[in-house]
Amino acid sequence: MASLSAAKPRWHFTRRTRRALNFYAFISPWLIGFILLTLAPVAVGVWLSFTNYDGLNVNNIKWVGTAWYERFPRDRQAVESLKLVFIWTALNTPTWLVLSFALAFIMSKVTRFRGFFRTMWYLPSVIPVVAVAWTWRTLLNDNYGLINQVVNTIRSGTVIHFLTEEALISLTMISVWMGLGNGIVIFLAGLQDISPELEDAAAIDGAGRLSSLRYIIIPMMTPIIFFQLVQSIVFAMQMFALPLLLSPSGGAGLSTAPQKDVFLYMIYAFQQIFQRQRFGYGVALIWILFAIIIVITIVLFWSRRYWVWTEKK
Amino acid sequence: MAALSLDRQKARGIGCGTGLVLITLVLFIPILWMIMLSLKTEGEYSQSALQLLPAVPQWDNYWDALTKIDFAKFMLNSLVLSLLYTVPTVITSSMAGFAFASLEGPGKRLYFGVIIAMLMIPAIVFIIPQFVIFARLRLTGTYWPWFLWGISGNAFHIFLFRQFFAGFPKELQEAAEADGASIARFFVQILLPNAKPALATSFILSFAYVWGDWFLPTIYLNADNTNLAAMLLNGYRNPQGFTITTVTMAAAALYVLPLVIMFFLMQRWIMEGIATSGLKG
Repeated sequence: MASLSAAKPRWHFTRRTRRALNFYAFISPWLIGFILLTLAPVAVGVWLSFTNYDGLNVNNIKWVGTAWYERFPRDRQAVESLKLVFIWTALNTPTWLVLSFALAFIMSKVTRFRGFFRTMWYLPSVIPVVAVAWTWRTLLNDNYGLINQVVNTIRSGTVIHFLTEEALISLTMISVWMGLGNGIVIFLAGLQDISPELEDAAAIDGAGRLSSLRYIIIPMMTPIIFFQLVQSIVFAMQMFALPLLLSPSGGAGLSTAPQKDVFLYMIYAFQQIFQRQRFGYGVALIWILFAIIIVITIVLFWSRRYWVWTEKK
Repeated sequence: MAALSLDRQKARGIGCGTGLVLITLVLFIPILWMIMLSLKTEGEYSQSALQLLPAVPQWDNYWDALTKIDFAKFMLNSLVLSLLYTVPTVITSSMAGFAFASLEGPGKRLYFGVIIAMLMIPAIVFIIPQFVIFARLRLTGTYWPWFLWGISGNAFHIFLFRQFFAGFPKELQEAAEADGASIARFFVQILLPNAKPALATSFILSFAYVWGDWFLPTIYLNADNTNLAAMLLNGYRNPQGFTITTVTMAAAALYVLPLVIMFFLMQRWIMEGIATSGLKG
C-alpha cells in the first residue's frame, strides 16, 4: 500500500484550499466572462472615446484626445436630448413608483383571488416591446385608434395627437403600463412581510388607515422603495427603444426619426454610432451619461440616511 | 374589525372586488385591442374602432401572418437564439449563485460587490465596445455572441440564485459533505432538483429577454438569420408598400403567445423569483 501511494502521489490540500478551489470552480464561468465581456469592453470603450474610429478605419485609427468630450457641450441636439432625459425620468419614475405601490397596497388588502389578480396585472410586463409598440401605435392612432374615436364621439372633430405632439405623455403611460407588473410584485412581497400585528396595534392606539400607511407601512417599505427608485432611474435614463418604436414611422427601428419630445439622449448616441459611423463620439456621449447616472446613484445612496429605514441590529 | 357590521363588510368587499376588476380591465385594454384587431378586416380597422368586435372573425389573418413571410423560420431563429443564451446563463448563474451563498474563498466579498454593482451599472456602457470587439473577431452575423453572453451568466440571475440558495438549511450541505459527497455532486443531485422556482424564474426571464429583444439582433444579425422581433418591427406590407395592420397584429399575437403560455405555466415560481429579487440581500 505504501509503495502504491508513493508511486501515485496525491495532492493533499487543506480543507480551506479545497473549499477555495471549489468556490473558484463554481464562479469561474462568470468570472472569466466578466473579465472578457465586461472589463475588457470597458477598457476598449474608454479608449474608443478618444479616437476617430468609424467602424471601418481599424488600420488608421487616430487619437483625438478629448475632442469628443469637448464637442458635447457645443452640440445643441445632444444637450437638448440630455435635458429631455431628465424631464422624462422625472415624469416616469414617480408615476411608476406611486402607481405600482398604490396597486400593490390595494392588492395587499385583498384576501380572495389575490393570486389571480397578481397574475393578471403582471401580464402586460410579459409582452415584448415590438408587440407593445404595434399595439399602442394602433390604439393611439390619430384616426383609427380606439381612444381618439372615443374622444371624437364625445367632442366631434377633436384629435389628441398621442404619437406626435403628446409623445412624451404617451411614452410615460406605456412605459408605466409595461413596468407595473414588476413593481406590484416586488412591493406586494414587501407589504406581505410587514406583520399584521403592527397595523392592529396601531389601530388599537387609534391610528386610522391613512396614518398607519403614513407612519408605519411606508417607512417600513423605504428600503424596497429606495432600491426600486434607483433601478427605475437607471432604467429610465438609458431609455431608447420604446420612444423610437412608438413614433408613427417606428417600423424603421434604429433609423427612425424620433418625435421631438422623446428624442432621448441614448437615441441620439446610438444614431451617432449606427447612422453616422461616429463610434468615438457616440461612445463618449455614453460615458458622459454613465457618469451622470453614477453621480445620481451615489447621491441617492448618500440620501438614504435621511429617509430610508434600517432595522436596528 | 368587530366594529364593522357584517353588511358593511360585505359592501366593502363588493366595492373592492369591483375596483380590482375595473383596474384589470383598464390594464387589459391594449391586450384585448391587439386580439380584436388581429381578427378584423383592414376595412373594419379604418372604419370604426368603436365597433369593438369584428363582424366575422378573420382567422385568415393568422394564416396570412404565418405564410406571407417565412414566419416559422424566424420563429425558429428566435427559439434557437433564446435557448442558446438561456441554457448556459441558467447553468452559470446557478453555479455562481450557489458559490456566493454557500462556499468560501478569498475575494468572495469583492466579487459579490461586483455583482451588486453590476445590478446597477447601466448596460449601455458595454453594448458598443462589445459590438466592436465581436465585429473584429468576425462574430457579428453569427449566434456566437449570444452563447458567449450566456456562458458568462448574468448578475441579476446570480443574485436571484444566491438569495434562493441562502435560504437552504446549512445542515443539508454539511450532511452531504460528511457522507463524502463532492460539492459538485451535492449541487447537481440535491440542490438543483430543489431549486425549481429559481430555475424557472431564471429560465423564463432570460428566454423572454432574448425573445423580446430587437436591438441586438438588428445590429448584430442580418435580414436572413435575425429573430422574429426584428422581423416584426417592419410589419406586413401589401404589394403597394402599405402596412397591413390586421395581419401584423395577428403576427404580433402569435409572437407573444409562447411567452404568455410559458408565463401562465410557471407564474407561481416567477412571482416568487421576482419578489425575491426586489428585496435587498
